[in-house]
Amino acid sequence: MTFAEDKPNMIEFKDVHKYYGDYHALRGINGTIKAGEFFSLLGPSGCGKTTLLRTIAGFEGISSGAVMIDGKNMAGVPANVRPTNMVFQSYAIFPHMTVGENVGFGLRKDPRSKEDKAKAVAEALEMVGLKGYGGRAAHALSGGQRQRVALARALILKPKVLLLDEPLSALDKKMREHMQIELIKLQRQVGITFILVTHDQEEALVMSDRIAVMFEGQIAQLADPETLYRRPATKQVADFIGTMNFVPCDILSDSGGTIEVDAKGLGRVTLSADQVPPAQGVDPVVGLRPETLTLLYDDQKAADREVKGVIDEVIYFGDMTYYDVYLGGTDVEVRLSMRNVPGRPVLDVGTEVRLAWSPTALVLFR
Amino acid sequence: MKFPALKTYAVVYLIFLYAPIVLLPVFAFNDSKVIAFPLSGFTTEWFTQMWGDQQLFNAVKNSAIIAVSSAVIATSLGVFAARASTRFQFPYKAGIMGLIMLPMVLPEMIISMSMLVVLLAVGIPLSLFTIIMGHVLITTPFAVAILSSAFQSLDKSLEEAAYDLGETPLSTFRLIILPLVMPGIVSSLLICFTISIDEFIIAYFLGGNQTVLSVYIYGQFRFPAKVPSILALGTILVALSIVLLSIAEYFRRRGIAKTGAKDTGGFL
Repeated sequence: MTFAEDKPNMIEFKDVHKYYGDYHALRGINGTIKAGEFFSLLGPSGCGKTTLLRTIAGFEGISSGAVMIDGKNMAGVPANVRPTNMVFQSYAIFPHMTVGENVGFGLRKDPRSKEDKAKAVAEALEMVGLKGYGGRAAHALSGGQRQRVALARALILKPKVLLLDEPLSALDKKMREHMQIELIKLQRQVGITFILVTHDQEEALVMSDRIAVMFEGQIAQLADPETLYRRPATKQVADFIGTMNFVPCDILSDSGGTIEVDAKGLGRVTLSADQVPPAQGVDPVVGLRPETLTLLYDDQKAADREVKGVIDEVIYFGDMTYYDVYLGGTDVEVRLSMRNVPGRPVLDVGTEVRLAWSPTALVLFR
Repeated sequence: MKFPALKTYAVVYLIFLYAPIVLLPVFAFNDSKVIAFPLSGFTTEWFTQMWGDQQLFNAVKNSAIIAVSSAVIATSLGVFAARASTRFQFPYKAGIMGLIMLPMVLPEMIISMSMLVVLLAVGIPLSLFTIIMGHVLITTPFAVAILSSAFQSLDKSLEEAAYDLGETPLSTFRLIILPLVMPGIVSSLLICFTISIDEFIIAYFLGGNQTVLSVYIYGQFRFPAKVPSILALGTILVALSIVLLSIAEYFRRRGIAKTGAKDTGGFL
């Protein structure tokens, strides 16, 4: 899953700041995006992710710092000559043109012959699964088809970087999931660097080689999806990506190599250094994901540690059931997820249960 | 219809609004110099009389020159103002836009008088040109209002997309913005033309010895003998208006069909 480190840098951010008047939209962005990578900028609305994308495209200037594309500083380079193309959130399909005219729009100044251009348009349409749609009116397309036209129109210019600004947010859930997979396949096929802006953490996890999680104009963590999920760098990231239970704890000892904590309801645990991201100055809590807690049925035994609890809430999802459980006589409530397989009846609220868990699944935020 | 009274009201309202206009062609073809019922017979004499009136032709020509010039100039200015007001932020924007829109509510009497004073003081002779100046002043706010809504409904990312695909700001304007606001431009031209062609006060004050249609018609009403041929002229103007509006509506519907926009109904 991790992306090859030896790929050359495609985008580099060097201490990028952006002010809108007094508003500090980007607060010192650093980081690199590799050539051929599927990269996501993930964060809640207003975190600056779209602004950052638009600084790559050239639609937004930056106040200080540098944005490099393929080793060249983009300062003073306008959007129409940058080696990037964008798929807009609204798709921005030109409504007064046909599908073919839309896709071929960027080829207007291309010196190739008319026939060659028509062939390129046909190929681009075929690539996105719209073979033979060239003559249709652009406004008569469905949301998913518009999306494909926007993709074909951007990719026909063979940009070094394709920028995608929340391209799937206007689609319904089924279509969105379908397009996610299509986009991944398309990216592998063309090998172009894709940079996706999204507020949907699931989408980012599914599609990306690496993700930059942004809060308030800063990158909180830049990592591959698995690291983000399993070892979030801050409590904020942990909270934003998936579901995370936070259990308050006291730090008993800190030897540098290992840290011993007393987590409320879970007891004393020794954590290794990789479970402890750098301190952020928050009240110490340990985080654990719902799937790292397991309900024990009948005479099942925990492989590692075991804790008692009482079910407070049952949320049934068909294939899964989520349980909110009070940990052993405390007011600490954790959510755990269980796959609904034969032999595991869905339990009722108020049932006293035993949970299996493992200290290796914990992450300490402090 | 739940309320029959409302239905009656609506019908009466429409009759009140349009019946006088229907009377125009009726008396234009009536074989009598007196405008009164009962009708005395069919004639096209008034049209012939009107057709032979050299002064009238002159007035129509003047009005056409003024209306077309005013519509084109006001719409061109409107494009700039509407574009600026919908896309850019600049200091004192609200105040500047307010001043542009102000002539819409300013009494034309005031505009004509003050312009007359200034023009005479500066020494610009009164002519068709001075009427055009006045008409541009009063029609520009309408052009800005119509065009602003056209520019407003334009998705900004369409421009960015064209720019992103290698076009310059100028070619983006030509290839994307202009075609998409074209229905608004046509509407603006029509409205400005209509306002200018039947405008009276400014044309009367600033025309010097040049007579335009509205002033000419007003002058002719002093002579009862001329009234039927004025009605004939009015009939032709009504017919022209209907033709013009039909053409405009045709283009509007075609534009909507082409871009797939939602038809909000109604003209313009």
